[in-house]
Amino acid sequence: MTATFDAIESFDAIEVLLALFLTASALVCLFDRHLVRACYFFVAFTAAMTAAWWQLGAPWLAAVELVLGVGLTGPCFFYALGHVLPGASSPLERDKFSEPWSRVAMRVLLALAWFVMVGAAIRYVVADMAYAPSEHPLLVAGVVIAATALGAFALHRHLLRRLLAFNLLGSAVFILLAGVAGTSATAQALISVGLLVAWLGSMLGALLIRQLLHLEGVEALGRDGRTEEGAT
Amino acid sequence: MIWRFGLFDSTFEPLLPTHWALLVALGLPLLLGVLAALFPPKRAWPVVLASVPVLASGLMLLSAYDQAGLLRWHWDIAGVQLSLRLNGLSVLLLLMTQVIGVAAAIYTPGYLRLSETGPLARWLWPLMGVVLSALSLIWLATDLLTLYAGLELMGLAAVGMLMLSGKVAALVAGMRYLLLALMGSLTYLLGVALILGHWGQLDLQGLAEVVEPGPVAWFAAALIGAGLALKAALFPLHAWLTPVHENAWTPVSALHAALVIKASLFILLQLWSILLPDTFYAPRVIAWLGLLAIVWGGLLAWRTDSLKTLVASSTVGQLGYLMVAFPLLLGPDIAPLTRALAWEGFWLQLMGHAFAKAAMFMAAGNLILATGESTLKGLAGTSRRLPLSLLVFGIASITLMGLPPSSGFTAKWLLLQAMVLSQQWWAVAALLIGTLLTAAYIFRLFRYCFDETAPRHRYQPLAPGMDLIALTLALIAFALGLLAHFPLELMHGGSP
Repeated sequence: MTATFDAIESFDAIEVLLALFLTASALVCLFDRHLVRACYFFVAFTAAMTAAWWQLGAPWLAAVELVLGVGLTGPCFFYALGHVLPGASSPLERDKFSEPWSRVAMRVLLALAWFVMVGAAIRYVVADMAYAPSEHPLLVAGVVIAATALGAFALHRHLLRRLLAFNLLGSAVFILLAGVAGTSATAQALISVGLLVAWLGSMLGALLIRQLLHLEGVEALGRDGRTEEGAT
Repeated sequence: MIWRFGLFDSTFEPLLPTHWALLVALGLPLLLGVLAALFPPKRAWPVVLASVPVLASGLMLLSAYDQAGLLRWHWDIAGVQLSLRLNGLSVLLLLMTQVIGVAAAIYTPGYLRLSETGPLARWLWPLMGVVLSALSLIWLATDLLTLYAGLELMGLAAVGMLMLSGKVAALVAGMRYLLLALMGSLTYLLGVALILGHWGQLDLQGLAEVVEPGPVAWFAAALIGAGLALKAALFPLHAWLTPVHENAWTPVSALHAALVIKASLFILLQLWSILLPDTFYAPRVIAWLGLLAIVWGGLLAWRTDSLKTLVASSTVGQLGYLMVAFPLLLGPDIAPLTRALAWEGFWLQLMGHAFAKAAMFMAAGNLILATGESTLKGLAGTSRRLPLSLLVFGIASITLMGLPPSSGFTAKWLLLQAMVLSQQWWAVAALLIGTLLTAAYIFRLFRYCFDETAPRHRYQPLAPGMDLIALTLALIAFALGLLAHFPLELMHGGSP
């Protein structure tokens, strides 16, 4: 117990708050059925990520995250929702697809397995991390978000929510990358390329979702990659 | 294995013209793509003219390699190390990319004119340019950062190309492919993070010297392997491939099946030969999956009613041959002769399949365009009216089946020799089963085509040259078997 308290005492208060806020906004973003609200929380999440990069001593990454994450990836989702102007209503406001319990249970197990695997890998395989999880709560948040986002990616059938889950998983992986490899120039370059890819992917996905909505309506977004005959 | 990928110091510095050739080879496809988006070519001849400097740059790099051997480039940009290398294998793959890319580009104007493609058609050009530039970069890059950037650019542009047809089925399949490809890229990135964290560098040559077997290498190899297998449609992760091709435009399918999925496989083999040079089980798992892939892909192609699904499923099976060769290339105690034979067979099979599959997709596209039918039954009676398209299909299938003297035969002969030498009898069985299954689905197709009792339809005439381009690619695949000594020499060149 005392060891745990010592560990908690060694945390930086700002970092603890950031980690808590990141985890909370990620959870809302992943599981809120109100899609517009989920997207607002995604923007809040990327803004917090900017602060997190600053906190981890990577000002360049903070700038890249601000431009690519907050400035470019966030609007992609609002465009996909058709919610470009504030106050406009969207045909896509809520996700109405329901999942059977067996599917949910399987996905929870998957997320837990992934959580244990990543945790074990970080704890035992990479002994010499640049930022140890025992000192940096942001890394713990990264592992938690990575596991939940993977679970959500596997669980959801709504294409927009899967795209959101991918983006959150990406951010968590970037935090883990920075934790394992530090914030050297190489790691920052790698993460910047990753952010660029996430933006391009989200943009492509948003264009696709708009087109699908235009052609087929809301139901087309839940078919999990199958055409109409395959799903029924 | 490391030296085969050219991961050692070069003797000579590249000369000035070689720098220019490199710049043209990497940048010009992209530039031409943007130009073509602004001024879409209506005929084939402007594309032919534009492709001359691209091919010339490839040939210049070939002659530079002939004269100086391995060449390397290093850059240090704000503390980030980037490096490229040019060895025999990368020259060969670069030339293959350029030839197939140019063929697809020349094919495109005629195809777009004849099929109702809609307003999105002009976007095809820049995306094609990005794919070709990124592929060229992947064959040359020797650090994990450049490889990651190239892989992702190529993947995203490929997704964009595949959905251009704008049909709902294409969009749904494209979205699924996009999400899976993005997940694959994150898995790959986690593996790279482990490598960077533990060894502190991303340069492949440097890594090859410091990597030692251990949990970090295994974890990283597993993560990278899973991500790349997803992108390469290796067997249990192949399900996205067929629906994506079902609705894509013909030149896009040709580029994707011939080149894009091969790039992930190339990176996989290159990274595993650094991370897992002496592991026993990992290459064998890939090989067992390859055995299943050969059977499953063959059965899928045999049972299907759709022409494009047949061609796409056959890709799954043909990739199986490459997977079966993994334990002959990686692992402990492989005799040098076995490894050399498997190395030759692997790349010859990859190149033969690339040319043959591109030709086959174009022939299939021509048949579908001319008849207006996409099912096998709809092809009844085409033997009288479209003999040239069928001839192309036939020549390409000779390579896929591995009949002599095509490159498929030479490649399988080399692989078979390696398998017999290392006494892997189950792999021999896989090779034979695959050949039989390929013959089964190819002859099933021809049985429909040579149905003489079918009523006569009106066929849409094809644009001039559409069959000729496909025929050229099919003949290259065929001739690679007869003239195999040239590529094989290049693959082995540059040994220290």
